[in-house]
Amino acid sequence: MMKFLFMMIFMIPLCFMKNMFWLVQMMLFFMMFLFMNLNLNIMCFFNMSYMFYCDIISFGLILLSIWICSLMIMASESLFKLNFYFNFFLFNVIFLLIMLYLTFSVLNLLLFYFFFEASLIPTLLLIIGWGYQPERIQAGMYLLFYTLFGSLPLLMGIVYIFNDLNTMTIYFLKFFNMNMYLLYISMIFAFLVKMPMYFVHLWLPKAHVEAPVSGSMILAGIMLKLGGYGLLRVMIFLQEVNLKLNYIWIIISLVGGLFISMKCFCQVDMKSLIAYSSVAHMSMVIGGIMVMNYWGFIGSYILMISHGLCSSGMFCLANINYERLHSRSLYINSGMMNFMPSMSLWWFLLLSSNMAAPPSLNLLGEISLINSLVSWSNISMILLMMISFFSAGYSLYLYSYIQHGKYFQGLYSFYVWFISWVFIIIFALISFKYDNFKGWFYFYLILNKK
Amino acid sequence: MNNNSNKMFFLFILFFSTLISISSNSWFGCWIGLEINLLSFIPLISNSKNLLSVETSLKYFLTQSLASINFLFMILIKFSLLKNFNMNNIISIMMNSSLLMKMGSAPFHFWFPNIVEGLSWMNNFMLMTWQKISPMILLSYYFNKNFLIFMIITNLIIGSLGGLNQTSLRKLLAFSSINNLGWMIFSIMISENLWLFYFLIYSMMISMMISLFFLMNMYFMNQLFINNMNFFIKLNLLINFLSLGGLPPFMGFMPKWIIINFLLINKFYFLTFIFMMTSLIIIYYYIRIIYSSFMFNYFKMKWVNLLMKNNMSLINLSSFISISSMILSTFIFM
Repeated sequence: MMKFLFMMIFMIPLCFMKNMFWLVQMMLFFMMFLFMNLNLNIMCFFNMSYMFYCDIISFGLILLSIWICSLMIMASESLFKLNFYFNFFLFNVIFLLIMLYLTFSVLNLLLFYFFFEASLIPTLLLIIGWGYQPERIQAGMYLLFYTLFGSLPLLMGIVYIFNDLNTMTIYFLKFFNMNMYLLYISMIFAFLVKMPMYFVHLWLPKAHVEAPVSGSMILAGIMLKLGGYGLLRVMIFLQEVNLKLNYIWIIISLVGGLFISMKCFCQVDMKSLIAYSSVAHMSMVIGGIMVMNYWGFIGSYILMISHGLCSSGMFCLANINYERLHSRSLYINSGMMNFMPSMSLWWFLLLSSNMAAPPSLNLLGEISLINSLVSWSNISMILLMMISFFSAGYSLYLYSYIQHGKYFQGLYSFYVWFISWVFIIIFALISFKYDNFKGWFYFYLILNKK
Repeated sequence: MNNNSNKMFFLFILFFSTLISISSNSWFGCWIGLEINLLSFIPLISNSKNLLSVETSLKYFLTQSLASINFLFMILIKFSLLKNFNMNNIISIMMNSSLLMKMGSAPFHFWFPNIVEGLSWMNNFMLMTWQKISPMILLSYYFNKNFLIFMIITNLIIGSLGGLNQTSLRKLLAFSSINNLGWMIFSIMISENLWLFYFLIYSMMISMMISLFFLMNMYFMNQLFINNMNFFIKLNLLINFLSLGGLPPFMGFMPKWIIINFLLINKFYFLTFIFMMTSLIIIYYYIRIIYSSFMFNYFKMKWVNLLMKNNMSLINLSSFISISSMILSTFIFM
């Protein structure tokens, strides 16, 4: 585990040398393949050392973060071509990757908080430094202050736990019961803001839209999952309060997900639509984690991984359109099938996965989540039905608006294809389908185990 | 009066006066130390050629001597009226008030931003760091817990809300200093060692910021984006301000984290919440400053050398220390 940390640390001097842009990206791919081959054990913590560990959740999320970081660099090729501070950009990406890697792999809860907060700084720098509009100032403020407002009580909670239990090791927390209401609120609130839950979701549309493509990819891909990971780690020692109070968060997030799905239909900005769909998916993830059964746990984990891949891919595609047409508006981006028909394949694959059509991994996650939520209460069937239906609705709306129909008359000409995009998309989709097959395979195994 | 060797004499007496004050056996000795402190600081800040300097030193003299007189009077009342040695009574409130006024803590802070506006950066550094030592240690000898907790809350709120409308960098750091005084007063109620830890790290961070502003000769916010700043200087500004605000992974997070630890051990839950939320407001106006320096693009004339003045190589070292000191500090305990 330490070996990956050292590999990432020593990539930092590599960012500042000449002509090393693609080498850094290749090294990240290389690291991902190395990481994938670690010994994996589903039922326990493995690869434990003095301060690192790997769990099934950590493993998947670290893998996802390395993958998305390498795709981020690939997608930001225009920064390299235009010579727009790409050295510092690479440094930001590697620093963010180090912080995320450490967040998911340290054993100490306080160090988890430390790196959780530290991952905000490079994200803020990415949004402010390489974003496209002047509104990114406000977006950076919203991102920083919503997240900090949630996470400072988390620090208080962690220090309280340390004073009470004299341990901060995540592994040992399952042996204790800290059932206090105030502690519960302070621990959970940070992750609910990060996820985001419906009432505290305002930072997400701003931050996702104003971020550059790399910032959007990492935000949608991993930063939201930090909240899910934190919830999964922290709820273990708060079980009795969870049983009493979780219904509040489930109801807020599911009803909120419904409202957000309906709001997706009103969006004109492509990126804004994808950002709101992230909120809707994450609302189901919150619901699944909060019901505290095994299907919910598995479903939320699978939906986190698959949504990470899917959303990042969609932001990447939206940026392809933006780079050619210099607009993210749906009115201008319509009828793209006339110009880039092969692109419509990628849009279709990613959007069908977004709406959880078979055989995508999202479908697996949603089925598990639907199972767990309906087992918790029958009435959630209505909400889940509406959320799934509307997610299919807006995905189809986005696809048909962008691809079909007559193109915008004001288009003059634009360059159709860059070769590196092919690689991005191919890699994104291959990983996607590979995960699909692996996911269904494991699902089959788990079902047979019971 | 730069590099005047006469000032060395007064600087030496300044240092010595603090030592007198904190190491005396009797309250009279403390008062004498405070008076010598005042006496030796005035020549350091007054400059007869500059009218603003003269006015500032006069204001400083008036407020500090008022506080010292108060202190002396309360010491005498304590000697004559109280036979016991209990803390937490009325006389300790009066003694603490005079010491808080010496430090520039709220609600006696109104002189502090004014005077900070009239001093140069190096004098400000002395005022914000060294001048706080002897009143704080004297505070720890005889305090009223409830009164001080109320003062901490006032300090935090005034420090955070007062800085929102400032454009002068000196006044901004003055309000940030008032806020940090709240943290320091709490730490000295717990233990002097803890206060020393917070104070040293705070002094180090303030010294990095002030040396940066001094070298760039910046006094106001519009100078942040008019100047032709190097990229590393801006990065250093970012790191220092975020460190001062207490964000991980920078050095400034560590003292705040340890203070929160002691706050929660002693069960001050609501007070911890106020500490955190005022910290957020402070980070807001720091980020505003950072935005001003990062966002507005400057004119990139090629024949103007981007300002790397003498002594600037230390700045890169200081930002490196700010980032990595949290990790390096774990090596202390090996």
